[in-house]
Amino acid sequence: MKLTTFLISLVLMISPVKAQETQEPTSAESWLKQLSHSLKTLNFGTSFVVVKNNHAEPYHWFHGISEQGDELEILSLLNGPRRDVLRKGDVVSYIEPELPPYSVKTSQITGPIPNVLSNDLAALQAHYNFVSVGKSRVLGRGAQVIRIVPKDNSKYAYWLWLDQHTSLLLKLAVITRKGQQLEQVQFTHLDITEQPAESLIQLNSTELPDVVDIPEGYQQQKLAWKVEWLPQGFERINANRHRIVSTKEPVEFQLFSDGLAEVSIYVTPSKEQQRATDYVMDGATVALSQVVKGLEVSVVGKVPTQTAKRIADSVRLVSGAAP
Amino acid sequence: MSESKFETVSSLVDNFHHEDAVLDDVLKDNDMSETWQRYHLIGDVLRDDVAQSIDIDLSDAISNAIAEEPTVLAPVKKPSLPSVVKAKVVSMVKPFGQVAIAASAAGLMVFGVQTNVADNDTATPYQVVQTGLAVGGVAQPVSLNFQQNTRADQQQAIVEQQRRFQALLQDHKQQMKFSAVIPSSKDKQQPQEADKSVK
Repeated sequence: MKLTTFLISLVLMISPVKAQETQEPTSAESWLKQLSHSLKTLNFGTSFVVVKNNHAEPYHWFHGISEQGDELEILSLLNGPRRDVLRKGDVVSYIEPELPPYSVKTSQITGPIPNVLSNDLAALQAHYNFVSVGKSRVLGRGAQVIRIVPKDNSKYAYWLWLDQHTSLLLKLAVITRKGQQLEQVQFTHLDITEQPAESLIQLNSTELPDVVDIPEGYQQQKLAWKVEWLPQGFERINANRHRIVSTKEPVEFQLFSDGLAEVSIYVTPSKEQQRATDYVMDGATVALSQVVKGLEVSVVGKVPTQTAKRIADSVRLVSGAAP
Repeated sequence: MSESKFETVSSLVDNFHHEDAVLDDVLKDNDMSETWQRYHLIGDVLRDDVAQSIDIDLSDAISNAIAEEPTVLAPVKKPSLPSVVKAKVVSMVKPFGQVAIAASAAGLMVFGVQTNVADNDTATPYQVVQTGLAVGGVAQPVSLNFQQNTRADQQQAIVEQQRRFQALLQDHKQQMKFSAVIPSSKDKQQPQEADKSVK
């Protein structure tokens, strides 16, 4: 009798989890497919820590589906000044100390976790290989290790640890070609619930700040220079002129992405004629800058330093145009 | 006089004085009230209480942004509506006190942190490492100009360079938010079109 009760309770304990998973995926592709599906459809509340260089940034992250079927998300940085990202369907709002709250019309939160993970990862396969490496234990759960390895050595690899039951992310690391870990996202808590978290329900009834009006063509301006070399798969997604927020320096700017990593290129005339290449690393993000013939070229992004240097070297003025 | 005046401020900051008359003096005197703010800021910096991204000149940055890019930062332009919305969002995400810094205070803080950074590299908001290494070559001095021989100038150049990098890292993040990268959507023809326009 006791055994029967035990068995029944065991089945009851397992069943909610069973309901969420379809089948245990077999290939790396299907694991990743399941990951993006879970990221889009589950109600979860998590905490994670981003570890870069020798400091750690703790975050809270909530995701849920509203009664109307919209995705709701809250991502909050827990240390230092408040930085919150709120998402209701296809409006994402940023609340940060530098600017008044604003919203962007997109369904992508820009944060420490690459947003391609909740999208069509298959699009990455042209330039990355997906490798299923084996099992491990993370956050007290069984985890499947998946590596996203670039096909050429001009990019970083991403290692993912996925929950064996839901395929949700438990850990993520950005790894160099030589296997050195540059940045890590370690989840410290994961709650999967039937209903969205209370804060998400509250968010659903909150009015978000106005959507920023980005005029047609603003992100596709004609600039006086071009980039002649980029790693395979990088496509331009933005080209504009703006002032850097904190220094007020006017720059010409282009942003490229291969779906996983983004690279920004800044070009501005310099007072100096030449300056040697110089760079800093913020986790896996490099910022590299040099002045050649009175033109300052800076490259920022999650790419190896050599790649950033090669991109910077390949910037050419378009003939006939002044800088 | 001036020496003792600042001593008064100092003792006020340290809570040694409680006479209202002294406080009034401080408030009326421009020099003294500036010193008062500065001392408090120094204290904040020492206690590590200053917001991490404080090297952003809020007042100037925003007014500049409005002047230069009214379109992208549109919410700033319409004070009435956003303030209402802001209130709602604020009530939701609970108080975020440090956002509401008066412009003057922000200006002061920028000054304070700058000097602090100059004194002590570890106070930089992001922990930035590996400065000054030339890629694929010999390590080069970071100094912007080889005529700047004095140590102080070099130090200043390094600080300057670090600030520039921080600004770039921050701007990169900001631009990614506006660009709203959606890799899955195949319906964006901008890259190709944009490419043509460049060539």
